[in-house]
Amino acid sequence: MATDSSPTLELTSERASAHPGEASAIDASLRTPLVVLIGSALVWLLIASVLGLVSAWKLHCPGFLDACEYTTYGRIQPAQTNAFIYGWGFNAAFAVSLWLMARLSRGALPGCGVLLVGAIFWNAGVTLGLGGIIAGFSTSIEWLELPGFATPLLLVAYALIASWTLVVFRAGRSHQIYASQWYIFAALFWFPWIYTIAQVMLVFSPVRGTVQSVVHAWFTSNLFLLWFASIALAAIYYFLPKILVKSVSNYYLASLAFWWLAIFGSWAGISRLIGGPVPAWVQTVGAAASFMLIVPLVILSMNHYGTLAGRWSAALSNLTLRFIVFGIVALTLVLLAWVAGALHGVAAITQFTYFTAAEAQLGLYGFFSMVVFGALYYIVPRVLGTTWASSALASFHFTASAVGVILLVASLALGGIKQGGLLADATVAFADVTKATQPYLFAAFIAGVILAVGQVAFALNFFWTLGRVAAPAVTTAKNLLSAKTEAAR
Amino acid sequence: MNRASIIFLGVFGALAFSFAGLVLTNQLTYGSLTTHVDEDEGKSFPQQTPGLAAQGKLVYQDLGCVTCHTQQVRRPGFGADTGEKSRGWGERQSVARDYLRESRVLIGSQRVGPDLRNFAARKNADGTDLTADALYRYLLDPTLVSKDSAMPGYAFLFKTQQVIGEPSTKALKGLPESLAAAPGYEVVPTARAEALVAYLLSLKDTYAYPETKNVYTAPVPEKKAAAPHGETKVEATKEGHK
Repeated sequence: MATDSSPTLELTSERASAHPGEASAIDASLRTPLVVLIGSALVWLLIASVLGLVSAWKLHCPGFLDACEYTTYGRIQPAQTNAFIYGWGFNAAFAVSLWLMARLSRGALPGCGVLLVGAIFWNAGVTLGLGGIIAGFSTSIEWLELPGFATPLLLVAYALIASWTLVVFRAGRSHQIYASQWYIFAALFWFPWIYTIAQVMLVFSPVRGTVQSVVHAWFTSNLFLLWFASIALAAIYYFLPKILVKSVSNYYLASLAFWWLAIFGSWAGISRLIGGPVPAWVQTVGAAASFMLIVPLVILSMNHYGTLAGRWSAALSNLTLRFIVFGIVALTLVLLAWVAGALHGVAAITQFTYFTAAEAQLGLYGFFSMVVFGALYYIVPRVLGTTWASSALASFHFTASAVGVILLVASLALGGIKQGGLLADATVAFADVTKATQPYLFAAFIAGVILAVGQVAFALNFFWTLGRVAAPAVTTAKNLLSAKTEAAR
Repeated sequence: MNRASIIFLGVFGALAFSFAGLVLTNQLTYGSLTTHVDEDEGKSFPQQTPGLAAQGKLVYQDLGCVTCHTQQVRRPGFGADTGEKSRGWGERQSVARDYLRESRVLIGSQRVGPDLRNFAARKNADGTDLTADALYRYLLDPTLVSKDSAMPGYAFLFKTQQVIGEPSTKALKGLPESLAAAPGYEVVPTARAEALVAYLLSLKDTYAYPETKNVYTAPVPEKKAAAPHGETKVEATKEGHK
């Protein structure tokens, strides 16, 4: 295994030899904030899994839990999405980006008070927001349903967390800036921009008419591409070369993919408005920008698959890389689906169907979450200074997640194509379209069960590992207390 | 790429490019689109949503109806939304001006249920108009109206009350035994249900704006090409209600 302080061979020689104990010192400085962030991410992941099961079952059986407005599908489903995105996704992304940034910049965290306050505020904001959705204060804007009274709190919390990640970046001793750092640095800066614009232009001071739809499409696609995909790409660029002990193939092209995604990718999401009530040029520009995603797709493939070439067995024997390889393949499929979806003929069928839900799941679950799972399997034992409590639970988690994601995405995608085809045929009654999608929705529910079981295994493993580390400290504290009370007697 | 300041400028510029190109340009160009004043009718379109319907939109929002229902009719040739051999979800495609009066535009992205943009202008299967009473029954239990409906029931939007004096005119009639109230009681919609139904019955995009008349439609394969250049079909209707 390569030395800990850098991912690639060309960076290794300079860094590792000079400061052998540096990596563990950095890890130790990150312990408390990472435990809080990862722990809360996992709790949200479990909550999202349960809500996901409820909403998936409701699609299959609409009468389930419909007696009460708090559990109606229109509230449970957005609550699930927001718990997954802002609860699991953001907490996990904060944890991974903080760790990667600290390791690559070679900077220990100077203190964790502000970060902890940020993490607590963030989770308080998400809790408040989800409560708001369930209670009926949803904005009804997809991926932005968290009501306006919760989102300012999220922005404040974000500022606290992100600024400390940047502090680590600036305070670090490394003079190199590696690909992972570009992505994290950029993502940290992009998210507050798109989020603030979306909040102001959609919620607090709504713009007129379907300009809202344009702003919304711009926000959602960039939330995926410029935030989630950026963080996941940062992790891929770090772990792939590091664990394979091999430099990234065609690394000189990586910066081109980065700038291309930033400059043109940020226009691409608008293609989801194709056929909608927005100016025709907007739809055309969106389609053109989507086709241009082929360039970063090719470069990222050269970087990722090129590095993996000849090393597949080594990659698949490592748990972290198994997750990451799954994520890399998912990314390829997501971008291909994105490009295809910008074609008129494809969009006419897949638009507004479960196919788009499949794309979102492939991006958020198959790509982002799988890469982050892989990263966490590497990060957690190093930060806690121990090994995972159970390797069986860990490999079970991989199997369940992989099978679950494949089944979920395949059933939704096929069901969506079926649904779209039938919807386009006006001779088929709407109720028959609904009936025809039922088997696919049932398969998606089964996939949800498999995924939920996998996530329970993951959370169990994490808290078990944490418990083992904390146990000696707890015992010491107990002994001290009893000694004190005895002394007092 | 080893200078943080250069990366920062690039990162800033990249997003500024798409922000200016998509968000600002659209806001500056059609963000100031105005209503269409029809001098014949002496009104401007789209018209303001009546008060009760506006309240109903808030109910639509808080119950998350947009999760399953879009509100946008795509042009002919795009699915089967409108035009010949379509589901008849609209008399024409939706255009940007339709949404001008809405402070929250809910065009939606999923069609688990049908599109609702032009809901109130649609007819029942037997050619009759939609009535509030039929909608109440549908909301109370969708399977009463459509056996295979994927829509959940919204029984919580209704209440059972004792009949005092004359029965309420709003009471739901002809309910099956499982849903009907005990003798001396009646099932009536709550204020939220009334607002929601008023909103649903206000969803009507029947006015033809100048820009809805020159839209591209997919060429219909015919023996004789009737449309000029064989690709655009210009409808010769005058603006206004059909």
